[in-house]
Amino acid sequence: MSQEIAVVGSPEFTTGFRLAGVRRFENVPDAEKDETLDDAVTDVLDDDGVGIVVMHDDDLEYLSRNVRQNVETSVEPVVVTIGSGTGGGGLREQIKRAIGIDLMEEDNE
Amino acid sequence: MAKDVKPTRKNLMAIDDRIDLSERGHGTLEKKRDGLIMEFMDILDKAQDVRGELSDDYEEAQKKINMARAMEGDVAVRGAAAALEEHPEITTEAKNIMGVVVPQIESSRVSKSLDQRGYGVLGTSARIDEAAEAYEDLLESIILAAEVETAMKKMLREIETTKRRVNALEFKLLPELYENKEYIEQKLEEQEREEIFRLKKIKEKKEQEEKQEEQATDEETESDEAVEQATAGGVPGGD
Repeated sequence: MSQEIAVVGSPEFTTGFRLAGVRRFENVPDAEKDETLDDAVTDVLDDDGVGIVVMHDDDLEYLSRNVRQNVETSVEPVVVTIGSGTGGGGLREQIKRAIGIDLMEEDNE
Repeated sequence: MAKDVKPTRKNLMAIDDRIDLSERGHGTLEKKRDGLIMEFMDILDKAQDVRGELSDDYEEAQKKINMARAMEGDVAVRGAAAALEEHPEITTEAKNIMGVVVPQIESSRVSKSLDQRGYGVLGTSARIDEAAEAYEDLLESIILAAEVETAMKKMLREIETTKRRVNALEFKLLPELYENKEYIEQKLEEQEREEIFRLKKIKEKKEQEEKQEEQATDEETESDEAVEQATAGGVPGGD
């Protein structure tokens, strides 16, 4: 089954992706992120037609605890965050928990 | 707990079997955990490279779109973005790494030629084309990152589960089984000692009884003989 790529974020963030052909997007202006970002992300995560969700790293801060946890652990669709370069949000924590060592810190140094 | 088991030979044999099975399972799971961690290390290296590329592509794309916005205006860029007709799609295939099913993502229609983009070539400038191209490259990197990160998340989950199972066997189940085994063995030894002691006591008692019986019989015989002698001595003097 073919799936789509979705983008969630401010209009400035999503425009570039729309230019590359992404048609599933949720525009959430910066001023409304506290109230509406949770719903927008949940909508996209619940959509079976979406395979990859793209978000900005900084937007994770606006999410409620539950939605943030879903974003960090979701595999179908997988959420790719871009912006700060470290990526993976909770991935680092997950690695620390599963392996017992902070491998990402070691690699960054 | 050790107190819950009945100290019987049958239970001891059952516990021995369970210890054997648990130890074998523990060994296998440890090997699986180590194998998964090694596979994960390979994927982690790949993920670091992909992340680096992704950051570079994102920076490049940001620069290009900012330039397009500055030169053409935000409205023109949004207008071009809204006109896109071809949409990128992804298809997922499953790949198995040590029992963990990880996806292999195939993408189509991500990179497009100028005429496939759908916005008019005359109405827009090269800046928008460059921005669109940069974002197409960024999408390719994102798809690669999604593939690698999904694999990482799935493998981490499996590693965590396996680790938990190994620890449960090593620190909970096996010590409990060993404790139960020791308890049953001690109880059985105690029962054996009690049995020997009891047999000894019975033997002693029996011997004592036999001795008493013998003594009683001896005494009886002696008294009988005395009576007989007395009766034999009294007859001649009767005339």
